[in-house]
Amino acid sequence: MGTLETMKDIFDNPNKIIEEWKKDGRKVVGHRCMYVPEEIIHAAGMLPYPTFGTPEPIKKADSYFQPCACEFVRNLFDLALDKKFGFLDSMVLCNTCDAVRHLYNMWDTYVDSVPCYMVNNPQKMYDESGFKFYRMELEKFKKLMEDLSGNKITDESLKKSIELYDETRKLLKELNDLRKRDIPAISGSEFLVTSMASMLMPKEKANPLLRKLIDEVKNREIKNADGPRILLTGSIIDNPTLIELVEDMGGVVAVDDLCTSAKYFWYTTKPNNDPMDAIVRFNLERTLCACAHPSEDRYDYLQELIREFNVDGIIYFNIKYCHPFVYESAIFRKKLEEEVPTLTLEVDHSLSGLGQLKTRVQAFIEML
Amino acid sequence: MATKVTTPGKKNLQTTLEIGKAIRAYYEGVKEAKSAGKPVIWSYGLVPREIFHAADAPVLYLEHLPLMIGAKQLSGRYIQLAEEEGFSRDVCAFHRCFLGCAVAKDRDPYLEKLFVSPDLIIASNLPCMSESKSFLYAADHHNCPYYFLDAPINTWGKDIPDYAIEYFAGQLQGAIDSMEEHGFKVDMDKLKESINLTKKMMGLWNEIDNCRKTVPTPMSTVDGITAAYPLIQLPGTQLGVTLFERLLEELKEKVEKKQGVIEDEKLRLMWFGVPPFYNMGLFNYVEKYGAVVVKSMVEYIAGGAFDPSKMDPKKPLESLAYKALVDIVNPTYPNMVDFIVKAVEEFKIDGLIGVVKRSCGLLPGYMRLVKDAVYKDKGIPTSIFDLDGLDIREYDDVTSKANLDSFVESLLASKRRQ
Ligand code: SF4
Ligand code: SF4
Ligand code: SF4
Repeated sequence: MGTLETMKDIFDNPNKIIEEWKKDGRKVVGHRCMYVPEEIIHAAGMLPYPTFGTPEPIKKADSYFQPCACEFVRNLFDLALDKKFGFLDSMVLCNTCDAVRHLYNMWDTYVDSVPCYMVNNPQKMYDESGFKFYRMELEKFKKLMEDLSGNKITDESLKKSIELYDETRKLLKELNDLRKRDIPAISGSEFLVTSMASMLMPKEKANPLLRKLIDEVKNREIKNADGPRILLTGSIIDNPTLIELVEDMGGVVAVDDLCTSAKYFWYTTKPNNDPMDAIVRFNLERTLCACAHPSEDRYDYLQELIREFNVDGIIYFNIKYCHPFVYESAIFRKKLEEEVPTLTLEVDHSLSGLGQLKTRVQAFIEML
Repeated sequence: MATKVTTPGKKNLQTTLEIGKAIRAYYEGVKEAKSAGKPVIWSYGLVPREIFHAADAPVLYLEHLPLMIGAKQLSGRYIQLAEEEGFSRDVCAFHRCFLGCAVAKDRDPYLEKLFVSPDLIIASNLPCMSESKSFLYAADHHNCPYYFLDAPINTWGKDIPDYAIEYFAGQLQGAIDSMEEHGFKVDMDKLKESINLTKKMMGLWNEIDNCRKTVPTPMSTVDGITAAYPLIQLPGTQLGVTLFERLLEELKEKVEKKQGVIEDEKLRLMWFGVPPFYNMGLFNYVEKYGAVVVKSMVEYIAGGAFDPSKMDPKKPLESLAYKALVDIVNPTYPNMVDFIVKAVEEFKIDGLIGVVKRSCGLLPGYMRLVKDAVYKDKGIPTSIFDLDGLDIREYDDVTSKANLDSFVESLLASKRRQ
């Protein structure tokens, strides 16, 4: 099996990772955002596990949430009610959007089997007083993780975890750079699967695999690379179907700005003798998400992606009722369109209505 | 097919009419200030109003202007304009309406009387994502500077830790600095004094509430929503205190005379969610059953939950930070849910009406939590249905009334069985 297939296998069967990890009685802590400091969980000897949704229709969650909550969150809650996250020893959310705040409310009230914790992170970046506040919150979180795992988190163990996670980010970025070429070495959908598999895996396993993969694909050229180069952005995409759709319509997904991909690895932690301070600054010195401020920063970051990846067109895939991205796309639209054509599409997380989407994507790609 | 039959709410109190006049006078003042060359602030989110009053700053409030437009049934046109600018129906109708007002090339005469362009925007993410995003478009459109105050969500309940207060107090100081940079002078002595006035107002509001708890209630939410204006927009002002003193006096008299909003009060209801601003008469609609909507959750925004003894005039910014962070609308859920359960008990509520404004990221998420909590703790039922209180285009009078009919009838039937 080539490494791309190995990654796909991990992506398709994340249960294997859990089973192996839990064999020795180690704990797994679920989370739902790149602003949750995975390094702290890891330094306590536990596996940070990013929870993703499934494209299945929602069953129970709709009697808890109104239909106007983002479908991704309703889907996660459905899985939680269905005990699909029963393997988690705890769930951690952080202060991002209205929908996630309500996911916390619902989880804390109605899911007894897995306790849920909310990290209260500021939404304003680069603010020294915010760093101070966040430090207090992270100290609380660290203590909680120590209590949950029964392991003390030392500066040394935390530094090692930071190094390990940064290595994953660097490797993913190196792999992502291979998409800058006129004919990318890896397709958008392959990359998403690889990135998500790497997020799911213990990093001790992910890093050697990523190194091997870079070696394997560095001289490769994907087929069908003559189409326009697309930057994908918007709400979370936790399934390659939408990217495949763009590729099937002749687009080359040259880069994406998704929290299952570029957002996760774009920056690495700055050197700092105090590892907690390093994490504080890592999380509060990057405005990667539409939930965070200043949004001008995010605009600059999109510009950087456009330039570096030679982008011809942008597609926003916004999950219905995803306020952060629905606002952002409307706010950025005019400015972005002065640079490159931009298409904003509303999608269901369950990927219903793909037929209509196809038509719009196709028309956009033909126009480019 | 949807019919659009709307009526204004029937007010019962003299003082709420006076409050209406005070609102009009306020907007006239803002307009005059702008014409006299003074800078104007646009405020988004629950930024503590006391800092604006301490600077005598003319302010247009996102929470208020759309509601005024809505009450005149003009919201649809401006919401539509924002949609044409690319803001989908998924995002808050208040924000779409305000954005529509901001970008409109010609405004109808009513809006023209209220509208002034901003010289500075002060925005906060308290209590929702819409507050922290939509202003960016307005800032761009008007080429106007802004300051963003980050409010931590409340993960602590009633005791807000010092480090959170310190953080938000720092944000307030940042807002003050930004105001000073843009031509406003915040009088710190006035700000200190405003803490006492806010405490006094809150004490009066609690006494007003006590009157409303009596059976029959002398004041329904039709008056209550107008009366909440000083609570939300005039805290820290003598005018706010005076208006509440008058209101309390009027209510005391009614309580003494046992004068209720309706003669034979059979049912007491509470409203959770955005009120139907373009059709406040819907509240009166249930009166034909002997039902009265005694209270609305929105009457608690910006002031309902704080403990006045924790407000210290010597520490104005910390006091305001505490008041803002402990507010029931600041997520997460415990304060909101506890507060509603308590209100249901104290106001002797027979049924809760939960209306879902689909474009709101905040309130619809509470429906199930509140419904379960009031039922579990108090055995009181809740009826939940769709109603966008601001976007008149979404309003379906027949269905809304049918929903109210069936809920009220079922409450009456169960009362008869008791
Ligand atoms: S979209 Fe933003 S808030 Fe949501 S998971 Fe991604 S990074 Fe976190
Ligand atoms: S998809 Fe959007 S609304 Fe849903 S959880 Fe992510 S950021 Fe929040
Ligand atoms: S709380 Fe709801 S109605 Fe109020 S501004 Fe936020 S989204 Fe709009």
